[in-house]
Amino acid sequence: MTSDLVPPGLTYLADNILTRQNILGVSKEQGAKWAHKLNLPAQGETVFFAGCGYQFSAQLEVLMSLARGVDKSVIGAELPMRFARFQKKLGLNLPGIYSNVIAYSNTLYHSTPLTRGKDRSHPGEPEIKPLEAAIKVLRKMGIQPAYLGKNEPCCGATLYNAGLQSKFAENVQNAYLTLKQAGVKRVIGIVPYCTHALQKLFPLFIKDYDLEVRHFLEIVAEKISLFKLRYPRPVRITYHDPCQMVRYMNLIEEPRRILRAIEGVTLVEPEWTRGEWATCCGGGGGFETVFPELSEVLAVNRVTELMETKPDIIVTHCPGCIMQLKDGLRKLKVEGVEVLDLSEVVATAMEL
Amino acid sequence: MKKQSGFKEYKEEIMDAAHNDRLRLALSRAVKSFRGNVKSALAKFPHTVALADEVLKIKEKAIPNMEKLARQAIASIEANKGKGYIARTAEEALEIIANLVGTKKLIVKGKSMTGEEIGLREHLEKIGNDVYETDLGEFIIQKLGDRPMHILSPAIHIPREDVARLFSKIMGQEIAPDAEIAEMVASAREYLRDKFFRADIGISGANAVAAETGTLFIIENEGNIRLSTSAPPVHIALVGMEKLVPTLSDAFKVSEVTWRYANYTVPSYVSLVSGPSKTGDIEKVTTYGAHGPKEFHVIFLDGGRTQLAKYPHLKQALYCLRCGGCLYECPVFAVTAGHFGDKYFTGLGAVWAAIVNRDKEKAASLAYTCLTCGRCRQRCPMKIDVPEMVIELRKMLAEGE
Repeated sequence: MTSDLVPPGLTYLADNILTRQNILGVSKEQGAKWAHKLNLPAQGETVFFAGCGYQFSAQLEVLMSLARGVDKSVIGAELPMRFARFQKKLGLNLPGIYSNVIAYSNTLYHSTPLTRGKDRSHPGEPEIKPLEAAIKVLRKMGIQPAYLGKNEPCCGATLYNAGLQSKFAENVQNAYLTLKQAGVKRVIGIVPYCTHALQKLFPLFIKDYDLEVRHFLEIVAEKISLFKLRYPRPVRITYHDPCQMVRYMNLIEEPRRILRAIEGVTLVEPEWTRGEWATCCGGGGGFETVFPELSEVLAVNRVTELMETKPDIIVTHCPGCIMQLKDGLRKLKVEGVEVLDLSEVVATAMEL
Repeated sequence: MKKQSGFKEYKEEIMDAAHNDRLRLALSRAVKSFRGNVKSALAKFPHTVALADEVLKIKEKAIPNMEKLARQAIASIEANKGKGYIARTAEEALEIIANLVGTKKLIVKGKSMTGEEIGLREHLEKIGNDVYETDLGEFIIQKLGDRPMHILSPAIHIPREDVARLFSKIMGQEIAPDAEIAEMVASAREYLRDKFFRADIGISGANAVAAETGTLFIIENEGNIRLSTSAPPVHIALVGMEKLVPTLSDAFKVSEVTWRYANYTVPSYVSLVSGPSKTGDIEKVTTYGAHGPKEFHVIFLDGGRTQLAKYPHLKQALYCLRCGGCLYECPVFAVTAGHFGDKYFTGLGAVWAAIVNRDKEKAASLAYTCLTCGRCRQRCPMKIDVPEMVIELRKMLAEGE
């Protein structure tokens, strides 16, 4: 389906989008699990768009740790990626394999004395908490979004990023149709890539595009002054700006306004590399699947910059960045510093 | 990838670089001082930001007219008793210069990205000439048999101890590894001094060219370009056609924005060269070849630039002033230096590789190495949208043009 010039890591993600409507080829039911206990309406004019990043973060982390393990032996990311594609061609149950690997790595993790009892910051831990937190925050702010669950289309941004624009255009048409048929008028996005795609890229391919797309962060920033926020303990927080947020969607002041509104939070930032000058975490648009090892080097560099502020918590607002930053902390053997999504911090400060 | 091995080799090359701690140390120091310098240069001359917008407009108008401007510049240069040429391809440029130079000549050369692009030094050496790079960084690179890793600071990746060792070897005089940098600089000066005056030919590039007068604007700090372009009897300049702007005033604006964003409040020297050296001091008879060169040749290289100018998204690559600022903002460049590049570096280098050098494999390797994080765009005085170009290029590579 693609030119030989597209690196295999990206064609793998692209294939998954086209065949299973998510970047990792996992079942959509599995992705939508996080919302079960929240009882979100399955239809409505305003929907929360969860996107792949947070929902499938567990699978992505496993895939990445495999890829990185192999990459170091100079075989290159092509091999695990090829292997994954090969598996799919043979009709293997990839979601099953993923969950087995995750279960295994969890068992391994929890059976090691050093890590026993800890449940964060290791491959295999799904990053669904930010989604749950976001929903709770929105509800607290009086917004009751619906969630399409397994029917949520994939934004396909990775196709666009990989250069597969005609496939992306097709995906845009389908995704738009799905949203329209579900009666959607307004979308609240949370994954930077998806939100940017729905907001800025879809209109390039849809005439008279009529969906109002806003980022969760914009909504929260707007209403934040109406709420009293207090973090349970005094903390130094540094904020890592995801590239899409600052340099594509221009959301620079918003996260800072939110963090400054929280009692107990001291916002500490690197001297130069903040806001529009923030350094990429090294995990942009599938880069991490093409260059797993280089991507890790970049994650370490970014974490090193952020650690100069001596934070207790590194806060960001992107599933890709979260994965990278956690990986960077692990590589640097930093202990006692958490990586949290902004939605989690707000939810905690609202005592939700 | 078609040539899996090509991509694999490239990947190994950049990973080797990424694991080189000395390289990273050298780069991180450079990044820090560059950012500080640009900040203070812009604070001292805040009008530069608006001037950059003006220069962008000048470029937007000039690029579609490169061809016409080149002809106008040639007419001006010839009116000044110099000679002008348009070279369609790199090969043509090499041929023109080779014919002018001949063989067994001593040549002193200033740093030129365009020269690097067409492999000028290597070609002149191959046909039997003695070529000296006179820019200190380029000189180090030449003597090491390495390749430049940054457009302004080609030896950015080489620590001083390595320079000391190299100079001790080539200059036959011991320089201690912990010697002062000034001592190394002095020994290079000493070594190159007589080359400038013995040289048959001096070669340079240019940062901007005013078509109305045929004037080359050449920015430098070391003074090697002044010597290379004035001491020898012949001056040959190789200039990419994208450097042409209509007027002297335009060229001055381009130059000021270039050096300011290249982290200088003002460079030590800006040479303006419009023709051969001349005098009319004896009976008002104009005589060519006074103290400077008697011959002045300017070669304007197309080499795919007019082709590139036709791509609606990609043509912005031609607005690049080569200030080098974007490189300091690229997270990948910060660990790989010029290994993430071809003739030119980073995402911009991908566009260049694809359209100008027609090397799809290389272009794909570079295009997919770009994070599309967009921090280069943030820095660029011409607001070149590298992520936009890279995505467009990926589309062309993935789906065919």
